[in-house]
Amino acid sequence: MGTRILTVEDDERIRQAVTMALEEEGWDVTEAANGEVALDSFSTDPADVVLIDIMLPGIDGFEVCRSIRRASDVPIIMVTARADTHDVVAGLEAGADDYLTKPFAPKELSARIRAMLRRARSSEPGDLERIGVGELEISPEEGLVLKNGEELHLTKTEFKLLVELASQPGKVFSREVLLERVWGYDYFGDGRLVDVHVRRLRTKVEDDPASPRYVVTSRGLGYKLQP
Amino acid sequence: MPKGQWWRGLLARVTFAYMVGALLLSAIVVVTSYATTRTRLLTEEESSARSLFVSNAREVRRKLAALPADSDAEVRRTKYGEAVEGSRRSNGSIPLLVSPSGESHGTLSRDEIPDDLRTVVGANEIAEFRYRQMNDEQEIETFYAVGVGLADFGAEYYEIRGLADLESTLNDLLRILLAAAAAASLAGAGLGYYSARRALAPVTRISGAAQAIAAGDFKTRLDLQVDPDLAVLSQSFNGMVDALGARIERDERFASDVSHELRSPLMTLTASLEVLERRIVSLPEVAQRAVHLLRDDLTRFERLVEDLLEISRMDAGAVQLQLSTFGLGEFLINVITQSHSPQIRLEHSERNRDLRVTADKRRLAQVITNLITNANKYGGGATEITFKRIGDVVQITVEDEGPGVPESERTKIFDRFSRISSDAGRRSSDSGVGLGLSLVAEHVRLHDGRVWVTDRLDGRQGARFVIELPEGEDDDADEEMAI
Repeated sequence: MGTRILTVEDDERIRQAVTMALEEEGWDVTEAANGEVALDSFSTDPADVVLIDIMLPGIDGFEVCRSIRRASDVPIIMVTARADTHDVVAGLEAGADDYLTKPFAPKELSARIRAMLRRARSSEPGDLERIGVGELEISPEEGLVLKNGEELHLTKTEFKLLVELASQPGKVFSREVLLERVWGYDYFGDGRLVDVHVRRLRTKVEDDPASPRYVVTSRGLGYKLQP
Repeated sequence: MPKGQWWRGLLARVTFAYMVGALLLSAIVVVTSYATTRTRLLTEEESSARSLFVSNAREVRRKLAALPADSDAEVRRTKYGEAVEGSRRSNGSIPLLVSPSGESHGTLSRDEIPDDLRTVVGANEIAEFRYRQMNDEQEIETFYAVGVGLADFGAEYYEIRGLADLESTLNDLLRILLAAAAAASLAGAGLGYYSARRALAPVTRISGAAQAIAAGDFKTRLDLQVDPDLAVLSQSFNGMVDALGARIERDERFASDVSHELRSPLMTLTASLEVLERRIVSLPEVAQRAVHLLRDDLTRFERLVEDLLEISRMDAGAVQLQLSTFGLGEFLINVITQSHSPQIRLEHSERNRDLRVTADKRRLAQVITNLITNANKYGGGATEITFKRIGDVVQITVEDEGPGVPESERTKIFDRFSRISSDAGRRSSDSGVGLGLSLVAEHVRLHDGRVWVTDRLDGRQGARFVIELPEGEDDDADEEMAI
């Protein structure tokens, strides 16, 4: 069975066209015309990737995103009207892993989905050893992060971000590099993706997210994992 | 508060008026009280001196009358001297007796008596006189003199008193009065400042509220309870803010609605066209040509919609830059790569290799891309991009080898929907609307920078677009930029 995508979009023509184009790309697509339908569909039969339009009647896209995120670490892509609004940050904070602005090319969406489904990798091929940093223990192979022996629940993107930083503890990774390695973006990716995910990651791995011990900002350069 | 002529401000003017008022009042008080006191004291001093002097003169006359008429000159002189000595008893006054022969008796010389007084006394009168003269300590001092003509003996009696003590008392008084006047003026200024501040407090509140609103806080309202006198002003102010807020909200909602309305069909078109493109080989040739045409104009339409929305957001003042600090070299390499223009050389000096700039990366990329696109359309393709730091600004240039831009068009080309009027060098196939350069100008302006076009510096034909940006602080926007 192929990878299944749940598309939440209220405009019927867009839904049809996007579904058609995604199916052409080889994905299995489930459609939902509003938030309620989407949540029902996801709870009975979870998809592998969720695509949510922010502007939905009834339950809005942010709420759908939060509800799904509470139950699952499935990759979520938000569709916004504009890139330069607060919507993007709000969507990412609601739990989305990435976003696209309308109109997007379904080819681009496919590329994003493929980037998301790619496994977290260690930068050294074949080196899937556990990485221990302070109280954290990261196993890229199993997709597990333990803190003091207890499992932390990270989304796939958060996990990839952590593994990327942990591949060379102490080394500063620029936003561009992280965008490329974690999200598969070129140079012009949106740095806010990194910033919001770092913030989300901190709430899970840090004792005090306001003064991080592990995921540290390196002013003007990027982020690093403090060994 | 606007810079410049603060002294024209209401606060300064009210303070000044109060100060001047207090100064005038206290000046009047000073002048009248000083003048009255001075007159009173002088009159008292002089009248007591005069009665003393006159009685002295009478005593001298009595002594002179006791003098035998036939006594010789030597005896007379001695007696005259004794008569003067005998009268020396009032505080600090100096007597002088002038004998008929013109001889002076006493410590004073006859020459020291003012001529006017002597003239009067010579005519057998009692005369008094006040005058100013250098005293022994070389200071100007006021003297009071009384002269009595002793006509029986052909002599003149004078007595002089210095008024230095009285003067110094009066001077002290004047100083105290002036100090009090100055204090009163200052107090007046203080009172003026205080009451003006009190009176202007509502204005300050309104101006604070207006500033908050200008900064985008449309929830700011004036409290109607504070001052009933100002309730009308507060009400209309609040009404204005309501209307303004509603209007801006309406404009923003309109822009966002239009944006949504335009993007939805574009989304359907884009996705559907992609399906067609995937299957293009199975289409008849004429349908393939139609699909290509659709693709070209759909791309153009998308860009036009994006540009229009961007411009309208700028007009609404709704654009917020997402600043970050990045290396210009790497950035430009990526822009050039993305623009599929491998012919463009990127030139920079060794010194500028690691030049960093703080800017909105996406918008700056659009600026450079639009300049490259413009060069492709009108200048036969961009040939060279350079960057360097000059002082505290960063300069980026984009050059082409086209016909250049005539001097008369050099500002106009940055206007919306403008085109170079002469067709020279313009590729007719793509008559793209001229939003690109106006967006370049708007983006650069948002970055507090400048953009202009000149001839190429090397003398060859072609246009040279120059963007100048402030370098910005090299602080990374960090996560704050996301919040």
